[in-house]
Amino acid sequence: MNTAKCILAAAFSIGLVARFAAAQPVVAPTNEPVGPPRGENTGDYNITNSFETGYRWHTVDGNIGKYRSDVNFGNGIRLLGSTLTVNSKDGHGHYFDELQLTTGGLGNDPYQFANLRIQKNKLYRYDLLWRENDYYNPALTISNGQHFLNTTRRFHDQSLTLFPQSKLKFFLGYGRNSQSGPALTTIQYPDSRGDEFPLFSNIRRVQDEYRLGTEFEIAGIKLGVLRSWEFFRDDTGAAITGLLPGNNLTDSATLATFARSQPNHGSTDGWRVNILSDRSKLYSLSGKFTYAGGRRDFILDENALGTDRFGSNRLRQTYIFGNARRPVTAASFTATLFPASKLTISNQTSFHSTRMDGDSTFTEINNATLSTTLVNFQYLGIRAITNTTDINYQWNNWASVYGGYQFSNRRIRSTEQTVFAGFPDRLQAEQENTVHAGLFGVRLRPAKGLTVRLDAEVGRADRPFYPIGEKNYQAFGGRVQYKAKSLILSAAARTNYNTNSVSLSAYSSRSRNYSFDASWAPRAWFSFDAGYNKIHLDTTSGIAYFLQGDLVNGNSVYISNIHALNAGARFTVKRAEIYVGYNRVQDLGDGRAISSTQLPGIDPFYLAQTFPLSFDSPLARLSLKLTPKLRWNAGYQYYRYNEEFLDRQNYKAHTGFTSVTWAF
Amino acid sequence: MVYHSGQVGLSNGVLFSFVVFLAVARAQSGPAATPGNSTSPEYVGSAVCKTCHPNIWLNFYKNPHYKSIASGTETPARTGCEGCHGPAKGHVEARGGKTTIPHAFSLMQPKEILDDCLTCHAKDFPRANIRRSSHTVTDVVCSSCHSIHKAATPKFLLAKKQTDLCYSCHSSVRAQFSMPFKHRVNEGVIQCSDCHNPHGSAAPTWRSGLRPRMVEQAQGNEEPCLRCHTDKRGPFLFEHAAVRVDGCESCHNPHGSMNARLLKRPVTFTLCLECHNGAGTFGRQGDGILTQSPSHNMADPRYQNCTTCHVRIHGSNADARFLR
Repeated sequence: MNTAKCILAAAFSIGLVARFAAAQPVVAPTNEPVGPPRGENTGDYNITNSFETGYRWHTVDGNIGKYRSDVNFGNGIRLLGSTLTVNSKDGHGHYFDELQLTTGGLGNDPYQFANLRIQKNKLYRYDLLWRENDYYNPALTISNGQHFLNTTRRFHDQSLTLFPQSKLKFFLGYGRNSQSGPALTTIQYPDSRGDEFPLFSNIRRVQDEYRLGTEFEIAGIKLGVLRSWEFFRDDTGAAITGLLPGNNLTDSATLATFARSQPNHGSTDGWRVNILSDRSKLYSLSGKFTYAGGRRDFILDENALGTDRFGSNRLRQTYIFGNARRPVTAASFTATLFPASKLTISNQTSFHSTRMDGDSTFTEINNATLSTTLVNFQYLGIRAITNTTDINYQWNNWASVYGGYQFSNRRIRSTEQTVFAGFPDRLQAEQENTVHAGLFGVRLRPAKGLTVRLDAEVGRADRPFYPIGEKNYQAFGGRVQYKAKSLILSAAARTNYNTNSVSLSAYSSRSRNYSFDASWAPRAWFSFDAGYNKIHLDTTSGIAYFLQGDLVNGNSVYISNIHALNAGARFTVKRAEIYVGYNRVQDLGDGRAISSTQLPGIDPFYLAQTFPLSFDSPLARLSLKLTPKLRWNAGYQYYRYNEEFLDRQNYKAHTGFTSVTWAF
Repeated sequence: MVYHSGQVGLSNGVLFSFVVFLAVARAQSGPAATPGNSTSPEYVGSAVCKTCHPNIWLNFYKNPHYKSIASGTETPARTGCEGCHGPAKGHVEARGGKTTIPHAFSLMQPKEILDDCLTCHAKDFPRANIRRSSHTVTDVVCSSCHSIHKAATPKFLLAKKQTDLCYSCHSSVRAQFSMPFKHRVNEGVIQCSDCHNPHGSAAPTWRSGLRPRMVEQAQGNEEPCLRCHTDKRGPFLFEHAAVRVDGCESCHNPHGSMNARLLKRPVTFTLCLECHNGAGTFGRQGDGILTQSPSHNMADPRYQNCTTCHVRIHGSNADARFLR
């Protein structure tokens, strides 16, 4: 073997280890060992290809709805993954110089994607992104599972850049985002004291986006203009036929027929202007201006027939139409100065304004002589001015510091139209919130491969918008990493404290995260990765609620104590690649073993605030090299979801696949 | 063939555009690749580098940086190996050695690496805020994530698959994406860069405009969540003000959660009541956020799932209390 081949083999081995060191937490297509020197030469092009196809299977014991919510892999033949690259060898291909195609999960996996890039140097670059995600959510803990979703989201985006390497570029783009499928929602009938009824809903939402833009450079200053148009359509309908008793057996209201048509169509015109000057060695300037004028036109036509809680027949007809508008303007300007080679000073000033308003006509008619027509008008305006200054100084080769000051002023204006004594009345308000925050950090490299980073942020807001917002907060963090040839060790800690106390109410939160990670690849045939995280959060909030008509001012305590572990090892034994891994996430809560419902007489709000559960997932994968271009693969992954207090959602699942990879 | 006037106009427009396209394309196409086309005596050309570094050179035509060689019009200081590593005459005369490479990235300070890469890459707008990005101030620079010669992904030349790359520092985020409720990042259908700009983004237009600093806005300056969750975008006649003022994170953990719908609390009513407590100067009118009405008896489980009735909690066009 000559020297070049030895070098190539070494590079191949390093690439192999680097690829295999990457942990994969789901039974996914097998990592195909790709080193630099491969592919088939055809004419002036080099082609590489990898194509993995096989059969995926699963079995579930327990709540299959929850399994579909968390994992959702099914049975069937799949194109588990594929890659194709075609490169011109001299950079002067006839139609293109580079083609890349990557796919995953095609053929009915719940998560499917395809990425395509084709480009010809200097002339064009075309990117296509396509994704499909089956989303299933029974969400038993939300609205008793009656807000069920079994939808498919499809995304695709195409963009074409003309003359990508020149000083004058053009952009064209189109994107489509859709969601469709059956769902359940709920309706309260016949009034706000009525019962709740599950309602079938057929979700149909589509958004199209068109983009057109240009970038050009004049005298070292680059300018970009992008125009966009978005069109949104929501034609989701809802209906029931047949008598429903409602959720609450003590409530005698019934709903016999219900039909709702609620089309909601709108558009958003957008402008985005960028400017950039980064030629000088003393400064860099960039600016951005965007405007998006959103508008939605809506109509609602609803008919409901049933009985009220007294057993009287009720017919409710509701008709609503109107529009809503939201122009959003934002601008930011960043100046970065380099007064000395080791000093960087950066300042960003930004402004944004959001104004939401609209009008609607509301007509509700029912056969109990109630007839109301209201014109509702609301306004919510948010204006924020933000300024941040950061200084970054490299003290010497092993120490550097950075610090910064941030300031933000936000004004919120609000108008709500209400009805007072039968006459329309306007409720207007204005408020301002100012935030001051300081940052400081140190970076050290005391020894070869060893880095230490410490940082702190302290902030003060004078009038946060809501009780759990940041008011008096401080965050401290640190991270240590040691990096050697075959070993990476890192440890990190971060704490966040926030108190937001006012008269009658107090809120405080403490979050503490700790992590430790190790990655060890001592040999080309063996690598090991492991990580542990502790994510702790406890909050105390003042809450107010009614019990049997009496107002209660109390406290809500939430404690989440999450431990997460991931580990994986990869071996190469002759022609076999073996990977074994384990993932576990467990929330211990506050440590109790039984739920609030098992402890009568104790404040349910306190006891509801901890929810211990665990989610385990060991996995293994084998890849056997049959011929230089052919591999046989098999994978297995086990999932166990286990809630401590209730077992309605618990499940155990076995998933796996067997496949063949053809690669060259 | 008879055309309507509009069609003629369109056809002429298309023809004109095609002619302009071809003209510009012609102007863009340069001479054939001439590796080693150096004029300065300090530059030796990439062909010389190939002699001792064949492992890098043999596959370099697949590297996006090969465009600088294929172009044939770039100056020696922006062409091939020496475009990044500097003039190699000294390195050749010394018969190799890392210290004789003017720009040996493994020996350079983070800021020097950033400066080198930005010599060419600063011109792209997504990197306009890289100098003040959280990554830059913590010494995470280009070579921390990108591997020019041993990339695991041909697109963007990432040193590892994107998720593994991000997880290598953001370990707690890996834990969040391993939770039962999560966005499908590990499954490959979503990527970190769908929501984040690792090169630094402009100030956010939600919360107080200060944080988070690496989240990229959607087209209309909104949170990136609304790129996919278009139905939550509105505008709505009746906005749930917390969503617009402080963003989706008011109620949701965007990466992953142990709670359904990525909520911050396991049950709905506690999430709502922590804000709807009537206290202080909070809310739209600045006199506390509305408490529930006395008809809500919280001892009755039917009132503990707030969204059973308040179904349009993100915003409604038909009801100020989000009931439809």
